[in-house]
Amino acid sequence: MALPEGGGAVSASGGHLAAGLRLAAGAAITAAVWCGVLPRLLEVGPIQRHVELMEERGVDPAAMYYTELERLPLRPAWIDEVIVLWP
Amino acid sequence: MDEPMPARRGLHEDIAAVVIGLATVVLALAITWQTRPSEDAGNRDRYSKGWPSPAASWIGTPGTWTDQPLQAFRDSTGRLDLAPVVVGMAWVVCVGVLGAVLGGRTVRTAILGFAVLAALACLAYLLATQKLVKYYNLEYPLWALAVGLFIGNAAGVPRWLSPALVGEFFIKTGLVIFGAEVLLSRLLALGLPGIMTAWIVTPIVLVTTYLFGVHVLRVPSRSLCMTLSADMAVCGVSAAIATGAACRAKKEEISLTIGLSLFFTVIMMVAMPPIIRWMELDAVVGGAWIGGTIDATGAVVAAGESLGKEAGEVAATVKMIQNSMIGLIAFAVAAYWAGWVERNADAPRGSLAGEAWRRFPRFILGFLGASLVCSLLHSFGPEQALWVEGATVGFTIKLRGWLFCTGFVCMGLQTNFRELAPVLASGRPVVLYLGGQALNLALTLAMASLTFGWLFRKVVEP
Repeated sequence: MALPEGGGAVSASGGHLAAGLRLAAGAAITAAVWCGVLPRLLEVGPIQRHVELMEERGVDPAAMYYTELERLPLRPAWIDEVIVLWP
Repeated sequence: MDEPMPARRGLHEDIAAVVIGLATVVLALAITWQTRPSEDAGNRDRYSKGWPSPAASWIGTPGTWTDQPLQAFRDSTGRLDLAPVVVGMAWVVCVGVLGAVLGGRTVRTAILGFAVLAALACLAYLLATQKLVKYYNLEYPLWALAVGLFIGNAAGVPRWLSPALVGEFFIKTGLVIFGAEVLLSRLLALGLPGIMTAWIVTPIVLVTTYLFGVHVLRVPSRSLCMTLSADMAVCGVSAAIATGAACRAKKEEISLTIGLSLFFTVIMMVAMPPIIRWMELDAVVGGAWIGGTIDATGAVVAAGESLGKEAGEVAATVKMIQNSMIGLIAFAVAAYWAGWVERNADAPRGSLAGEAWRRFPRFILGFLGASLVCSLLHSFGPEQALWVEGATVGFTIKLRGWLFCTGFVCMGLQTNFRELAPVLASGRPVVLYLGGQALNLALTLAMASLTFGWLFRKVVEP
């Protein structure tokens, strides 16, 4: 069943059942953590404050590239008053 | 990355990626042009993210959710709307099928596999958009790799999925489309201080970290050193994807780099703002320091904004400059790899350039071509700038996001960490990352203080 690449090689006899059980157990643990534990952690003081601040400022910390940000980071208008950009 | 999947007939994998990627960019520009605003088309205040593209609403990814995953599929009115996500998954299947047709591979045996990979990519997005995960910058590539790794290790990879495991093709196609977002004009966004902070420090840190890994730590794989150095010195996961593909890094090496980078990014995102406050750094200098050192773009803005609006804006702009360097850096890495690292010492004199050209990854030309054409178009005027931004920010980022996510699922499924076990056990990749980041922190702080804090600082009357 298994390819040479990847993690586990599964034996033919009883392999399917064991693999299915491992997948089901992994799915159950993931569901419990994502739907149960992580939402509770969101109520913990510092985490709650961080999330609220980011929401209030419209920041998407999961952005991988600048084009994914909620606001495109163009040069701030005030920077010319503080810094000489082209001497 | 590994050698491309051999095709019986048809186009090379890189060429197929360039054809599909460039066609997608042209199509996105054409759709956005067709529906251009009839008045005020150059008004940035009105169109802050470019011209609104109708295609932006056709395709989507799961949204943010807290404790009910179904929330991720609700639209702004609260109605369940699966269509944009289903279109995203269909896009993955279409690209997979097109790639197989162009590459001369059998489509029939792969089509079910592409659909399963698209569903797993959707699952990875769902894991990444949980509110806590999202606001702590644990990006979708990490979960796509984790989903693939878990399935690969817990159950193995079924044979029927094998013809669809073309992760490198998905990533290369995504990179060509991504090229349209890499606008060279952004490199000048903060004038000379920005150039000095991003252009001088970044290449120094990249080259020094790479040489430190190869010659001092003696990490056995040069491609791991390069991918890790680029990720840390330039802009995190997006740089790891581009340079990893350019230097043909192994799947395991890219997976390891992304894992390490996101782990330390979360730590730096949380730790740097209080350290900057404790050091009583100026907001502009602190913002520039954050922008030049934290790997991931989103984490840079999060850390900058927690210091204040000014620091957040400077941090994001410095990061944008670094972001815009990845086209040139990926090209330089590909040329160095083809011409130097992989050179054949026995090749007859005079054929070195030809040999280098033969090995050069062609998709990098598509990536750079998309970047140059869109940069040129963007520079023509305000209307053209908003045209390009509307096509990319509104539309193509979703297309390439689905392809990257699927590519990482494939990579996770095919990753065999046993190959990297000796390197990991030695701890050398962690030492390399930490050593490079320490140099990055020191040099960027020195340059940001010099440029933004002193040399180009205007004297403000009290």
